[in-house]
Amino acid sequence: MARTDRPTASEQSFLTRAQQLEQRPPCQVGCPNSGDVRGWLGIIAQRRKHGLSLEQAYSAAWNQLVELNPFPATIGRICPHPCESRCTRASKDGAVAINDLERFLGDWAIAHELALPHSRDRRCVESIGVIGSGPAGLSFAYQMARRGYRVSVYEKNATPGGMLRHAIPEYRLPRSVVEAEIQRVFDLGVSLQDGVNLSEDMQDLRERHSLLFLGLGAQRPRRLDIPGDSLVGVVSGIDYLARRKQGKSTKLGASVLVIGGGNTAIDAARTARRDGAAVTLLYRRSRQEMPAAAAEVDDAIDEGVRFLFLVAPTEVLGDGKKVTGLDYQHMRLGAPDEQGRRRPTPVKGETGRLAADSIIVAISQQPDWHDDGWLKTREDGRLANDLWAGGDDTGPGIASRAVAQGRLAAQSAHAQLRGETPLGAPSVAVDVDTGKVRTDFYDERRRHARSRLPPKERLERPEDEVDRTIDSRQASEEASRCMSCGLCFDCQQCVMYCNAGGFSRLENTTTGHYFELALDVCEGCGKCVELCPCGYLTARQSRD
Amino acid sequence: MGSAHGSFQQLAAEPESAKTLRDGSRIAVVGAGPSGSMFSYFLLNMAEATSLQLNVDLFEPRRFCHRGPAGCNHCGGVISESLVQRLATEGIVLPDEVVQRGIESYTLHMDIGDVEICTPLEERRIAAVYRGNGPRDSEPMESESFDGYLQRLAVDKGANLVQRLVTDVSREGDRMRLECADGFHDEYELVVLASGINSRLTADLEERAGGFRKPAPTKAFICEFKLGREVIRETLGPSMHVFLLDIPRLEFAALIPKGEYTTLALLGDDIDEELMQRFFTSPEVKNCFPGGKIPDHVCHCYPRMNISGARPPYADRMVMIGDCGTTRLFKDGIGAAYRAAKAAARAAVFHGVAAEDFEAHYWPMCRSVQVDNRFGKLLFAVAGLIQKARFARRGVLRMTITEQRHPGKPKRMSGVLWDLFSGSARYREVFMRTLHPAYIKDLVWNLVAGNVDRSHPPAVERRHGTH
Ligand SMILES: Cc1cc2nc3c(=O)[nH]c(=O)nc-3n(C[C@H](O)[C@H](O)[C@H](O)COP(=O)(O)OP(=O)(O)OC[C@H]3O[C@@H](n4cnc5c(N)ncnc54)[C@H](O)[C@@H]3O)c2cc1C
Ligand SMILES: Cc1cc2nc3c(=O)[nH]c(=O)nc-3n(C[C@H](O)[C@H](O)[C@H](O)COP(=O)(O)OP(=O)(O)OC[C@H]3O[C@@H](n4cnc5c(N)ncnc54)[C@H](O)[C@@H]3O)c2cc1C
Ligand code: SF4
Ligand code: SF4
Ligand code: SF4
Repeated sequence: MARTDRPTASEQSFLTRAQQLEQRPPCQVGCPNSGDVRGWLGIIAQRRKHGLSLEQAYSAAWNQLVELNPFPATIGRICPHPCESRCTRASKDGAVAINDLERFLGDWAIAHELALPHSRDRRCVESIGVIGSGPAGLSFAYQMARRGYRVSVYEKNATPGGMLRHAIPEYRLPRSVVEAEIQRVFDLGVSLQDGVNLSEDMQDLRERHSLLFLGLGAQRPRRLDIPGDSLVGVVSGIDYLARRKQGKSTKLGASVLVIGGGNTAIDAARTARRDGAAVTLLYRRSRQEMPAAAAEVDDAIDEGVRFLFLVAPTEVLGDGKKVTGLDYQHMRLGAPDEQGRRRPTPVKGETGRLAADSIIVAISQQPDWHDDGWLKTREDGRLANDLWAGGDDTGPGIASRAVAQGRLAAQSAHAQLRGETPLGAPSVAVDVDTGKVRTDFYDERRRHARSRLPPKERLERPEDEVDRTIDSRQASEEASRCMSCGLCFDCQQCVMYCNAGGFSRLENTTTGHYFELALDVCEGCGKCVELCPCGYLTARQSRD
Repeated sequence: MGSAHGSFQQLAAEPESAKTLRDGSRIAVVGAGPSGSMFSYFLLNMAEATSLQLNVDLFEPRRFCHRGPAGCNHCGGVISESLVQRLATEGIVLPDEVVQRGIESYTLHMDIGDVEICTPLEERRIAAVYRGNGPRDSEPMESESFDGYLQRLAVDKGANLVQRLVTDVSREGDRMRLECADGFHDEYELVVLASGINSRLTADLEERAGGFRKPAPTKAFICEFKLGREVIRETLGPSMHVFLLDIPRLEFAALIPKGEYTTLALLGDDIDEELMQRFFTSPEVKNCFPGGKIPDHVCHCYPRMNISGARPPYADRMVMIGDCGTTRLFKDGIGAAYRAAKAAARAAVFHGVAAEDFEAHYWPMCRSVQVDNRFGKLLFAVAGLIQKARFARRGVLRMTITEQRHPGKPKRMSGVLWDLFSGSARYREVFMRTLHPAYIKDLVWNLVAGNVDRSHPPAVERRHGTH
């Protein structure tokens, strides 16, 4: 049957030959940790094809998920989910609720006491030191420990977890969730020494361990640097949040100003509302430029936080000892800066004044390590031959990025210890062309609606989580909304419609892999390429 | 799952009365090509007339709004005049958005010359349609898919469109069980297979359940060229161009103008690249295109055509219609789908859904088509002989040209060719006409005249000049 790819008399080929080509889906491109979202969603969505019960599928999906991210219940609560913004389904009937599903699986695994995977590779005996127990350090620790290394974590706080445990408010991320997920890492045999504030001189540690990882985070809050900024009543956002997280009392007074536009500012403002204060947040650019997640800004508004945009503080007012108010300057947006954000410039003569009992300053944090700020690592996280780093100490980021950097550093460190070449480019090199995904093939099914605490109740029950975890029915339905961009999901159109009989079912099918395509049988009609809803089948370049 | 796949032929011992459609009966129609959609339409129409309330699930994974092969049931898209009229009497009037261009004539191309054959009755028009939403690399068009239009008629009549791919049909006690690729399954009192021949379903069912023989396919070829309306008006005109060329295994080749595009369809015995090569290099073909050059195509496929029907095309609670049952040889497949849909719907509503009901009230229609196809085979064999023999081609050309030049003259050859190309008449009827003494007399005269009087070859007779 095989025919040569010779052009016809009209100097053109009437052959469009098909090939199976796994491609990287947009959700994975969007995920800072390159999460194999399609993979773990597929396990749930295609479970019946492999004879898995729902419970078995959840368990298998969680196991796949924690390959890259050991904290799904945590990240599933706080991640701004850039994966979803890219999801191909967004243009149809709403992105797949990846974050909610991640959270569901995380909670499910906690409830079912699933343990992290652990290989007992006897070759990996070296001792590894990790400084800092935030998501970056713990991700590194996990990836090394599961390979068999002996890992010690050093932490200056009394409890591990970094910002997850000490800054992010309870109503978004309960301590119990973070603790449960962190405990699993220590269950792999990782040891913890808390209450040790390590200095830059790590000679002692370098001798004790084969290599070290720095996951220090960015602990030093930036100051306002305006007159009056050291008056009593001026506090930093992370200090305020940390005290609240520890259950310590914080006397803010009735009227609070928050300065900043990032996560910390929003969290501080919302927490202060829960403390009963009237809160105004001042930001020097407009809402559009705010680094904080848009949904959280909405939540803050719902909870009664007032926003003043395009204003910059000029002086903290006080009665000699304590804060009484703030003078500010109106701004306008000028030309874009290096990052493309428009730079605010003062509007001459336009100023204002607000009275306040406290001022929370949340205008970003920096590493508390040495004076030149961020650590500058190579791409794989390497600082020196025996020193790796990752997370917020290399630049401000989100938790998922910290987890990713800890993981990548571990891969690189492991390769060095074992004398292997580090992992090359990811196995799936081509990104899905979303224009080729036939979204209209899939049934119209709206994204599930989140169940949330109404704003009024949030203030009455300040410790209660705002968002609830979806239930099992929602989870299985939501997982089956995934269109499996770039990987077969067994719709069987190709095998049904290929006239040449090019497709045959694999004897052992697995998630994403169902058919074999006999390239020599293909007669080049190109029909399957057009039909394949997910874009897995693509046209082969002719004459190969 | 439970029950084993039994032969479709095995008859359960049960009272005859149980195998009729009643109020609330559930019917699954697999495939919403012309046969499936028309079946659903007729069934619901007849049920309505007899105050019977039926639930029809029409399964079709294809989206006819897609351009290219994904949204298309691959065919030349010529709707014969008899079908256009018959549909009109059913109240199905093809709207302008569906008809790409009314075809007013056929132009016959041979190595010795061309002739244009006008419609036998002036007011008759043939419709050219797109089965899907037009060629792969085309711009979105304001046109509508023919199959999509029929599907909508069925849905408007009350059929419930299920956008799923059926993977298995089996017997489950006294009902039919149907399974889909996504795990969906359900049971029905009647399953109507209308999945065509470009689908593996009947082959899979034959393999799994047995008890019937699937239709046999042969490979055809279709492609689309974008020429633009202007060029089409100048070169092809509102005419379908048919080629009688001496290429082995090629039974029929036609260029069908449709709006900005023109469809090329090659039918025969397993069209392959060698055949295509010969076709595209023949001057008769090249001359139909501007500058004598074949332009780049914007879509192509190698669809299958039915060369023998399913046997038997029915079982208890199951009936096969259209291309996956019995269809006409080479021509008017959609017309055949219409007849099968109607006959099967009538059998199911007025008689019953047991194998015997279909045997008594559906099979006769299939058999008559199969008998007629034998005449068709004969006619195409004769046409093949003419293609091979130059002297015969001269006779045919001369006779046709003479008929076309003299409006009063009986159109014996023109009529035969017209009906052969359009599939408007039964093959048997066409064949009988070729046995008419007047036809034979005329043909013999033209054979002689056409081959003796070679110094004056008949002028090329066409209204739309080619380059
Ligand atoms: C208020 C707030 C809200 C946030 N909200 C979100 C959110 O919604 N979503 C999101 O994805 N991200 C959020 N982030 C960001 C996220 O928390 C960080 O990106 C992430 O925690 C960084 O992880 P890390 O491991 O690099 O650092 P950290 O989490 O800061 O952990 C560093 C750890 O190292 C320890 N350490 C530092 N120096 C030393 C030393 N010398 N010796 C010993 N131990 C040391 C620290 O005590 C700390 O435990 C938020 C951050 C804040 C502050
Ligand atoms: C090259 C060529 C040219 C032709 N030219 C003409 C012409 O000009 N005029 C003419 O009248 N006829 C022509 N025909 C014949 C015509 O195409 C067919 O006879 C006609 O399409 C038959 O209609 P159908 O409904 O039986 O099948 P189809 O049109 O094939 O429709 C079958 C439907 O079933 C669906 N289906 C298949 N498998 C499944 C499944 N497993 N589950 C659910 N749905 C399924 C398919 O998606 C499809 O929509 C031509 C045929 C060929 C090959
Ligand atoms: S549909 Fe699925 S695979 Fe595609 S981007 Fe969304 S989550 Fe990823
Ligand atoms: S449908 Fe079959 S013959 Fe056509 S391109 Fe795909 S594999 Fe090849
Ligand atoms: S058409 Fe369907 S079964 Fe075939 S490769 Fe694509 S997704 Fe898989």
